[in-house]
Amino acid sequence: MKIFQKLGQMPIGLTVPAFAILLIVFGMPIILLFLSSINAPAFSVTNYYKFFSQPANVRVLFQTIEVSVLATGMCLIVGYPTAYLIVTASKRVRLTLIALVIIPYLTSGLARTYAWIVILGDRGVINNLLLHLGVIHSPLPLIYNRTAVYIGMVHIMLPLMILPLVSAMMGIDRSLMAAARSMGARPLAAFWRVFFPLSLPGVRSGSLLVFVFCLGFYITPAALGGLRDAMLSTFIAAQVTSSFEISKIATSAFILLAIAVAVLSMLGLNLAGAQGRAATSAPRSWVVRLPIFAMRKHYFSEFPNRYRAKLWTTQLYQAGGNSRLSNIVGAVFVLIVMVYLLSPGLIVVIMSFSAGTFLEFPPSGVSLQWYRSFFGDPSWNGAAWTSIQIGIAVAILSTVVGTLAAYGLNRTHPRLRGFLTMTILTPVTIPVIVVGIATYLGLVNLGLIGSKTGIVLAQSLGAIGIVVVIVSATLANLDRTLEQAAKSMRAGPLQTFLRVTLPLIRPGVIGGAVFAFLHSFDEVVITSLVSGYSIRTLPLKMWENIRNQIDPTIAAVASLLMLVPVLWLIVLYLMWWRARPRDHHTLSELAT
Amino acid sequence: MVKNPVLPQIEFRSVTKTYGKITAVRDLSLTVGCGEFLTILGPSGSGKTTTLMLLAGFEAPTAGDILIAGRSVAAVPSYRRDQGIVFQSYALFPHLTVTRNLEFPLEMRGINAAERTTRVRRMLERVHLGDFGGRMPSQLSGGQQQRVALARALIADPPFLLLDEPLGALDRNLREQMQIEMKSLHKEFGTTTVCVTHDQEEALTLSDRIVVMRAGQIEQTDSPEALYDRPATCFVAKFLGEANILENCNFELETDAAQPSGTVAMIRPERICIVAPDAANRGDADRRQSITGTVDDMIYAGPLRKYHVRVGSSVFIVREHVAAGQPIFRPGDGVCLDWLRSDIRFVAA
Repeated sequence: MKIFQKLGQMPIGLTVPAFAILLIVFGMPIILLFLSSINAPAFSVTNYYKFFSQPANVRVLFQTIEVSVLATGMCLIVGYPTAYLIVTASKRVRLTLIALVIIPYLTSGLARTYAWIVILGDRGVINNLLLHLGVIHSPLPLIYNRTAVYIGMVHIMLPLMILPLVSAMMGIDRSLMAAARSMGARPLAAFWRVFFPLSLPGVRSGSLLVFVFCLGFYITPAALGGLRDAMLSTFIAAQVTSSFEISKIATSAFILLAIAVAVLSMLGLNLAGAQGRAATSAPRSWVVRLPIFAMRKHYFSEFPNRYRAKLWTTQLYQAGGNSRLSNIVGAVFVLIVMVYLLSPGLIVVIMSFSAGTFLEFPPSGVSLQWYRSFFGDPSWNGAAWTSIQIGIAVAILSTVVGTLAAYGLNRTHPRLRGFLTMTILTPVTIPVIVVGIATYLGLVNLGLIGSKTGIVLAQSLGAIGIVVVIVSATLANLDRTLEQAAKSMRAGPLQTFLRVTLPLIRPGVIGGAVFAFLHSFDEVVITSLVSGYSIRTLPLKMWENIRNQIDPTIAAVASLLMLVPVLWLIVLYLMWWRARPRDHHTLSELAT
Repeated sequence: MVKNPVLPQIEFRSVTKTYGKITAVRDLSLTVGCGEFLTILGPSGSGKTTTLMLLAGFEAPTAGDILIAGRSVAAVPSYRRDQGIVFQSYALFPHLTVTRNLEFPLEMRGINAAERTTRVRRMLERVHLGDFGGRMPSQLSGGQQQRVALARALIADPPFLLLDEPLGALDRNLREQMQIEMKSLHKEFGTTTVCVTHDQEEALTLSDRIVVMRAGQIEQTDSPEALYDRPATCFVAKFLGEANILENCNFELETDAAQPSGTVAMIRPERICIVAPDAANRGDADRRQSITGTVDDMIYAGPLRKYHVRVGSSVFIVREHVAAGQPIFRPGDGVCLDWLRSDIRFVAA
């Protein structure tokens, strides 16, 4: 009796809608998928045997691993020093640089991939420039090879590496470095013995994110690579569209999943050290993946009264000493990285205003013809309208369901919470192509392939995970005694939630909604599988266009797509900024 | 101050609360009279906060029952109990102004806007924050936040008030000032108050009665004077102030009454006089006892001096108010300690 009473009081029931969607659209299909890969009910490994007996498959598999590992390694080599330089920069520079990293992170991957086609292509920016200067006489083969794949992938993934690193590094107590120095550690020794080990959690989450993302995201390799640069995920997607042979697809998907799980658990265990941290590493890595929250928190902690203390610890903190040379080298490095991150987008935006009949850089004249073409062509603006509709539906559904789930999880026993959170986050922590295949199967069973409802459900899987992460992070910072206080003043559970909890977590909820919308607006892998050719979202239309004929209108679309996240960022910033003056006011008051 | 001691406002009946294998509160029985100011005092981990959480309704007792005004509230959620709580962190809603914070409990009780406005204005004036209604909590100092929290807890005129380490976050001067203010508020409102603290000074200043808790159980319940002057156990004697335990001494302790078994003799440091060895005899020798020792250490603490005096193998703590013409002893000086036999207390060991 007591136990039932206790269960009744537990708000775990609030997670039911989230788990219902997860189970129907993703959970059950993935089990079916696994069963068909082992030929249930016969239970044999013939499918796996068949997969490995074909040299072509094995080659693609190794190539997938090779590309993912190398891309992750390159991201780390470029990203770690960048993050370090960002963190050690002065406050204003740091905030600017973080914003500059976040903008490409929020920008459509498709648009950024397209930018590289424009830059590296035979008639692209670089070749045109070199031809024009007379350095070369025929275009260099810059695109459709492995190098192009790496350039594009590292460009796409770099923010994913830098942001967790920055977040982890900003969490390192600066006085620790000062302490190490005071105990006689030279700058470099202090860095290796104190700073680097403490930044390892960031290295781990960044690397995991990038690696898993590489495994499942086939857009960039498919667009920039040659025929021999196919990834396993490209294979899987191609099989779905050409011959839907479920056991074969399931086998490939599970091999990919196995690699992801193996790496996740290996890195999780080895680097985390302490037991149990592995279980929380994935949610944490996703918390830092959305680092605007971390940034905001750190921003508040840097108020002026502590400025002097900060000043000298910052000096101690810089491991490489303060020589002019190292400062210049650092600045040049960061500059190059920023140019690498931002220039493709800028080039596309500039080209979108070109007046010629081809895309050219620099444009020979300024015109809005491609924007006119975008808004005038029903196939383009129709796709945009579909994307907006779907995005809004996804944002509403996943914000409501995700917020409820986050609230329920927050009030559940910690051990159960870790497990359930991990489960809800599965669709965003495993290769996206696997989620796509499972969702495809799930929606086939529901008869929702090629319907807007189907797409909304499919995209909500990931969006719910994102909302849960953001709202959970906000809830974790909420002082529980505030709710107790409300209850002590006769506010019931619902009133307490509406009057106290919700207003206090509102930034998280709105942030979650924005990110859910962006997730939906940018999703192409899953959507392309479940749209069934009957529904065209903007990313799908773009992807088709990139692969078939390059209509210069796409430059205008890409520019608009880059504008959307920037607009959202401004909205979010204004909203948080509005909440800031109060605190700010107090601080200045206390200081006087 | 107890308006109606016959009618217990709050009653704990053999309440036990366990968390897994840990027993936080064991078989606790306690009554709080109407209008009484009761303090639960104890070191951390003694179960005092759990007791408060049980009373507030944030936790349910594992066994036993809690009655408020004669009705069992074990199954009543906190939001249906009529109470005011001042939290240790104040728990002021950061997204609401001071006025809106104060209005909250009134709104929840369905009081109309006009009435709310008058009551908030009156209450803010009462706690000397008349001009602060439009501020956000983060724009107030610690002491002001404390007063808003107190005002918010009292504004709906709840029959009882719970205070969780109410002054813990304030600095010393502010704490004394708030103690006086709380005492006068309690006098004025006459609200039954249960306060939880580990600060003995706070407990002694504010309470009608003090409950000393240890390891989940009540050690002693009494008025502040009685608790300090006649502690029942060695733990209480040591937790509330300082105590010299007279055990294994190298002298024969002279007492008026025979020492009950299972007890130890105890004397408070301020009950011992410290004098030069030659000035020992004070005339009423039949009512006093004198022993000699050596000063180990002298600690100067403003209005008083604290001596550590070695007598044989044990060390006596002696506290003496600084007065004109008093001799000052230095470490190594031989001294004579003497006390009234009637100041010896027997406490359970």
